[in-house]
Amino acid sequence: MREMSRRNVLKFAAVAGLTGTAAACSGVGGGSGGGGSGGTDAGGSATLRYAWWGNNVRQENYTNALNQFMEDHSEITVETEFAEYTAFQERMTTQMAARNVPDLFWVPSAQVMTYYANDMFHDLDGLETLDLSDYDADDIDGLRLDGVHNTMALGIFVPVVRYNETMAQADGATLPEGADWTWDGFTEFAIDYAANNPNGNWAVNYGPDHDLTLEAWLRQRGEELWTGDGQIGFTADGIASWLDFWENLRKNGAAPSLSEQDGVGADWALIGERVLTYLGNSNHIIDDAQFFPEATFKLRTMPVAADATPGHPYLYTPRLAIFGGIDEANLEAAGTLLNFSVNNTDTLRITGLTMGAPVNPRVAAEVAEFASPDEQQMLDAVAHDRALERNPRFEAPAGSSTWRTILTRVSEQVALEQSTTIDAATAMIAELQSAIDRAS
Amino acid sequence: MTTQTLTPSATTGAPASSSARRRPRRRGRSVARHAGLMVFVAFMLYPLVWMVTSAFTPESEILTGPLLPEQFTLENFVNGWNSLTRPFWVFYGNSFVVTISSIVGNLFSCSLTAYALARLTFKARNLYFGIVLVSVMLPMHVLVIPQYIIFSQFDLVNTFVPLVLPKFLATDAFFIFLMVQFIRGIPRELDQAAAIDGAGPFRTFWYVIFPLMRPALVTTTIFTFIWTWNDFFTPLIYLTDQSVFTVPVALSSMVDAESNSGIGMLLAMSVLSLIPIMLFFAFAQKYLIRGITTTGLKG
Amino acid sequence: MATATAPTRRKSRLNRQGRAAHVFMLPWLVGLVGITALPTLASLYLAFTDYNVLSSPEFIGTANFERMLTDDRFWQSVRVTLTYVLVSVPLQLAFALLLALILDRGMRGLTFYRSAFYLPSLLGSSVAVAVLWRELFGHSGLVNSALALVGIEGSSWLQNPQTALGTLVILNVWTFGSPMVIFLAGLRQIPEELYESARVDGASVLRQFGSITVPLLTPIIFFNLILQTIGAFQAFTQAHVVSGGSGGPVDSTLFYTLYIYQQGFTAFDMGYASALAWVLLVFIGVMTAGHFLLSKYWVFYGD
Repeated sequence: MREMSRRNVLKFAAVAGLTGTAAACSGVGGGSGGGGSGGTDAGGSATLRYAWWGNNVRQENYTNALNQFMEDHSEITVETEFAEYTAFQERMTTQMAARNVPDLFWVPSAQVMTYYANDMFHDLDGLETLDLSDYDADDIDGLRLDGVHNTMALGIFVPVVRYNETMAQADGATLPEGADWTWDGFTEFAIDYAANNPNGNWAVNYGPDHDLTLEAWLRQRGEELWTGDGQIGFTADGIASWLDFWENLRKNGAAPSLSEQDGVGADWALIGERVLTYLGNSNHIIDDAQFFPEATFKLRTMPVAADATPGHPYLYTPRLAIFGGIDEANLEAAGTLLNFSVNNTDTLRITGLTMGAPVNPRVAAEVAEFASPDEQQMLDAVAHDRALERNPRFEAPAGSSTWRTILTRVSEQVALEQSTTIDAATAMIAELQSAIDRAS
Repeated sequence: MTTQTLTPSATTGAPASSSARRRPRRRGRSVARHAGLMVFVAFMLYPLVWMVTSAFTPESEILTGPLLPEQFTLENFVNGWNSLTRPFWVFYGNSFVVTISSIVGNLFSCSLTAYALARLTFKARNLYFGIVLVSVMLPMHVLVIPQYIIFSQFDLVNTFVPLVLPKFLATDAFFIFLMVQFIRGIPRELDQAAAIDGAGPFRTFWYVIFPLMRPALVTTTIFTFIWTWNDFFTPLIYLTDQSVFTVPVALSSMVDAESNSGIGMLLAMSVLSLIPIMLFFAFAQKYLIRGITTTGLKG
Repeated sequence: MATATAPTRRKSRLNRQGRAAHVFMLPWLVGLVGITALPTLASLYLAFTDYNVLSSPEFIGTANFERMLTDDRFWQSVRVTLTYVLVSVPLQLAFALLLALILDRGMRGLTFYRSAFYLPSLLGSSVAVAVLWRELFGHSGLVNSALALVGIEGSSWLQNPQTALGTLVILNVWTFGSPMVIFLAGLRQIPEELYESARVDGASVLRQFGSITVPLLTPIIFFNLILQTIGAFQAFTQAHVVSGGSGGPVDSTLFYTLYIYQQGFTAFDMGYASALAWVLLVFIGVMTAGHFLLSKYWVFYGD
């Protein structure tokens, strides 16, 4: 009996062991060469690691683009490192601690200065393979950190009001125009629409935690998110007024409750068919519109307060960087890939425009030829703001990388009526300030 | 060993002699018990049933539509299977390799360690056992980065070594503890009998303890399988190349946190990823029962 | 035994056992030295430093520990975690033991039930759980649909700070299959002969349960209790998946390890995260030691 049972265990273990070992070897083989920081062999060929985030659609599009790059440049091999946004940051943190970082990587917005402070970005000046001849000096200056040109922009986002034109027509609703397109005008319209439309739709998502639209609000008030010397650029009054704006909409039935939209960050799949407008990024129309193919979506610039500070418009540019510790032998190859990413119209033909409107003026003009109607909307929205007078904007300083989670938390407190808007705003600034102080 | 001759009904816990008279009542009780259990099962499994039906529902209707889909579609499976530029079986293959290797590693290393801690007398025993307990208690998040640095130094990122090697070195102290507890439940008379027959620690382990540990070994196998199969954090950090992604890493790449698109594919591929674990469990369960019937004081 | 009478022979036996023990433990020792010890010691050192992951750590004494005293989110995470442990562990173990006892005595359909109850554990912490839980507890989820039938209009249980933690407790209880399997394995280890002789002696089912099943199962109950408690203190993935890593709404599901993770990986404060981890370790250690001390009074070992 006992003999029998042991033999069974052994047999089981042996089969499992063989399978495991055999497969483990193949697995190790499959991933070889990925561990190091890339290498150059005698033939002058290079291996580069490229890291980005997104969903499966973006993963597929960018993989195809990188495959195209390898076809065009047979001497360069690109290893892809893709993850969902949160996972991407977890992994980057770990890789940076070990200084085992991808050669090219996208930079999450809240981490720009944190990464910069730790020498994660390579200086791009004098890179022969990166062609900057199409750019205006202003475009490049806007990307400089402490005067150093060390990142390129993947594209441009601007904050927008997206609305469902099909729904508006069905309900006979017309958004305010011209001089009436103010925050107050928007609020009045939204409350009226929500009260009177036949389907019980909401006028707008509840979105106090969205970064780009908050920045637009603050800049119109003469405040900003961050100052040039790495400090908080807004006041408690500024944040409180923003929270008040949203609370007014929610309490008057124009925006859903947290329960109805599943959290402060609204779930588009859940409420997309039941909200008329959505305050968010210009680029989101490309992915979000596909969710409801029977509806037509249009973009509007942000409402403008009557007394808005001149120069309040701004452009947000998601960044792409070359690792500061890259093997110098691979630098020019990395420049080639960087150039391919931002200065090549055919690349965008493959990837689509989910990372916004191209900064390169030549490429921006060329992509218009093949842009989808939704992408064209996005391009127009960006072009509109790009033509306006803009005061400079600064990136989130080191230590502030959790500012959006803090904003989400205080927004929840306010929406659940656990805190007044001014108390929530004061608490947010205090928490943020101590985090920034600790990091400096 | 006193062996009683009892009818099979003894296993229900009632004396055999009165079985004929009580049978109808017992059947009634059994029906009631089954009915109660079935209600409970239905309750437990509702979320999974929803997951399966939703996997066959067009994505736009999953969150808003009724439980039973009005339209039946396979598109979630088709889209999901090919969504990450390579067929999904690649990720299954990777998950299997990692999982099976981890099981072998844990069975091998933890059983040896557990035996030494549970049965052998030596000076540092309590110290070692304390270390085992401490390593169960420390949250892994603060160990991730130093361990990554170690494996990265040896250029082992993007291989399965960082996921599998620790299992062969008994770093899953949980299972050492589990096995120690099981071994301590095995009567010492058996070891002593073996010792009187002249068996040393190795033979005692191999011929006496290891076979008797079978329930613990099977438990370890089941747990290792599930934890490794579902583990997300560690593979995410060590496996950056899509060709070596495991299933959870691939699944997480499907959903876009901001718009929740991709839910249909996520559910469809999650359903598929449950099938191997279910099969495995059905298989391991057989061993669990067989292993159990051959243990205890028999023989 | 016989060897104990002669001191020298006893000593040599000890030596032999010691050598054998180290051979048995070789893999573990290698792992300890090569993989576990260094990172563990590193984290202990980092607990006394200001370490932002990217630049080198700077020694700051006990400042990290002092910071906890005035850190509201730290105390919130302690409250959340303790509530979770105290509610979900007893519930989960009670379910697991009850079902294991019902399923143990050879009943029809055993395999089916065991698999059915185990199935949720298989799904465990998959990303899909976030979607499932919203389907159950969201604004228009199953629970609220059921409440609507009796005229109660509910709101999302996940977005309400009063109930969000409760849904995670339910998630943990839902996966009672894991301790149940261990209980079943333990029940099967109890020799059938004991029951047979008890029945011959005319002991009732209840008495058999009280004097055979429970005492012989105590090592397994103890084991499950310890492991589920430690597991609950370290609960991470469920909250991470369901709340998207935030521990929201308003920190109502901010598990301790989630806070460690946020500090280490999002706020780049690995020094503070390490300090938090060691506080947790000491706390769990004291509690486990307490369990072990108490176990002398109720756990029965075959040896």
